[in-house]
Amino acid sequence: MKSVLSIIGLVILGALGGIAIFTPAPYDPHERVSAPFQPPSPQHWLGTNDIGQDIFSEVVHGTRTSLLVGVVAATLAILLGVVVGVTAGYAGRSVDTLLMRVVDVVLVVPFLPLMILLGAYLGPSLITVIAVIAALMWARPARVIRSQVLVLKNLAYVEAAHAIGGSFWHLLRRHIIPAIVPLAMAQLVTVASSAILIESSLAFLGLGDPVQKSWGTVLYYAQARGAFLTGAWVWWVLPPGALITLSVLGFALVGYALERRSNPRLRHH
Amino acid sequence: MTVKLASYALVLLLAITLNFLLPRLMPGTPLRFFVGDDVALLSQESIQELMAQHGLDKPLWEQYLRYLWQLAQGDLGYSYQERQPVLTVLLERLPWTLLLTGTALLLSTTIGIVVGALAAWRYGSAFDALALSLFVLLDSMPSFWLGMILIALFAVQLGWFPIFGAQTPWASLTGWEYLLDILKHLALPVLTLTLTTISGAFLVMRSAMLGVLGEDYIRTARSKGVSEFGVLYRHALRNGLLPVTTVFMINLGFLVSGATVVETVFSYPGLGRLLYEAVLQRDYPLMQGAFLLITLSVLAANLVADLLYSRIDPRVRV
Repeated sequence: MKSVLSIIGLVILGALGGIAIFTPAPYDPHERVSAPFQPPSPQHWLGTNDIGQDIFSEVVHGTRTSLLVGVVAATLAILLGVVVGVTAGYAGRSVDTLLMRVVDVVLVVPFLPLMILLGAYLGPSLITVIAVIAALMWARPARVIRSQVLVLKNLAYVEAAHAIGGSFWHLLRRHIIPAIVPLAMAQLVTVASSAILIESSLAFLGLGDPVQKSWGTVLYYAQARGAFLTGAWVWWVLPPGALITLSVLGFALVGYALERRSNPRLRHH
Repeated sequence: MTVKLASYALVLLLAITLNFLLPRLMPGTPLRFFVGDDVALLSQESIQELMAQHGLDKPLWEQYLRYLWQLAQGDLGYSYQERQPVLTVLLERLPWTLLLTGTALLLSTTIGIVVGALAAWRYGSAFDALALSLFVLLDSMPSFWLGMILIALFAVQLGWFPIFGAQTPWASLTGWEYLLDILKHLALPVLTLTLTTISGAFLVMRSAMLGVLGEDYIRTARSKGVSEFGVLYRHALRNGLLPVTTVFMINLGFLVSGATVVETVFSYPGLGRLLYEAVLQRDYPLMQGAFLLITLSVLAANLVADLLYSRIDPRVRV
């Protein structure tokens, strides 16, 4: 059952990655290539939108944007989380207390409203979206990694390495980093899952990058033009949303499997 | 408790400071964030005058103190699109958000607890597997997408529910008819929000109950001849419930974020929709006010949950 789920997750992610990398978009998603509001046809598999752009091409293009934002934002968030988590766990005392206070603060902030506010001031661009997601998503990974470092620090072989004069960098490279990599990977995949959901929400609210269309952007226009009031929702609203759901699910399933692997105590439940 | 309080106070101060700094640190004149884009059309004299009126010609620290003092008096600035004080606009919208998120929070927590407990009790059964997959799938759906589908199916095609808003405009209904109208408008947004936030309470309740059901005192109760119903509801549920308060708090953050997009889809006149409208119209004072009030509500709800937790679990001293 458990391994089946992680395989499903991997298959989903593989398929989406395949779409992003190998599927050519038949048209330029920014070009008006046909009459507006066309139903699906052999030329336009998912019909056309309100200004005659090919929806299938938009969705393929959106796959690239959404996956890119998810992976890059998650990587940045995890790097920050690892630095904070290792520092807090290793240094202990007041440094630890201070950093964990900051983590508590970040965790309580209502993140979507904050992102909307920042997006409105900084202007809609992919860089802004990635930076804001990373700046708000590092806190939970930092906490998880800190507690792992706390456990590691007290293990006999790490204490021994410290006692015979191993420097901080030596301990870090030889003992701490290798032990937290699996955990960080699990967190990375989990954060990527939330990042994709958040990016799509921001784009849906009209705060996405207008040049780099994502799945959320397609839905933003579908909503603004009232696609769900007509039959158009079947080919205009369903496909991009289904892809968001699949990618979030795919990352979540893989993250869940990795987490179990990196934390043997969880295996029994 | 003092630590918790201090950290909430810090969050509030940070939100306030962010609100203060954002318009003042952006390139260009900060005035456009106070009176709108019309600032480009104004003469040099009126710009000077308006800068002085908003205190923008003073040193930054003096502006900050002035800003805090205004906030303390409930002055959140003036919305140049709505042509009303920001606080007035916010207070008009707040009840709708409270109604929407409150109902959804109650439903998603209750259903999550009941189904989670049942799933743990029948661990590994078809019911358990079904509930688990369903809630994980729902958790992956963007709430605005689910909302759009529900509108297309139940409001447009079947016509069971209204398409937008919180009440029928110009209907001037009274009594039961008014209540029914409100409930009909509330149904789909609440359903959307509930379905997409249920998994938190469900997953935590399920794993907590799995832990509790393996305890010795449960076996003792069973061997005493307590019925299965009694074991589940009188013995296991009590301890299994403890971590759910934590979920309650986590859910709250998600609910507030979820409400922002769900209110937008359904044109529901709450704070989230207001934030969206303010962004569309570049109404910065209104944006900031909505953000501040949302943050304040989340913090207040967290505080209440903390207090409740210490009541339920005597081991926690706050």
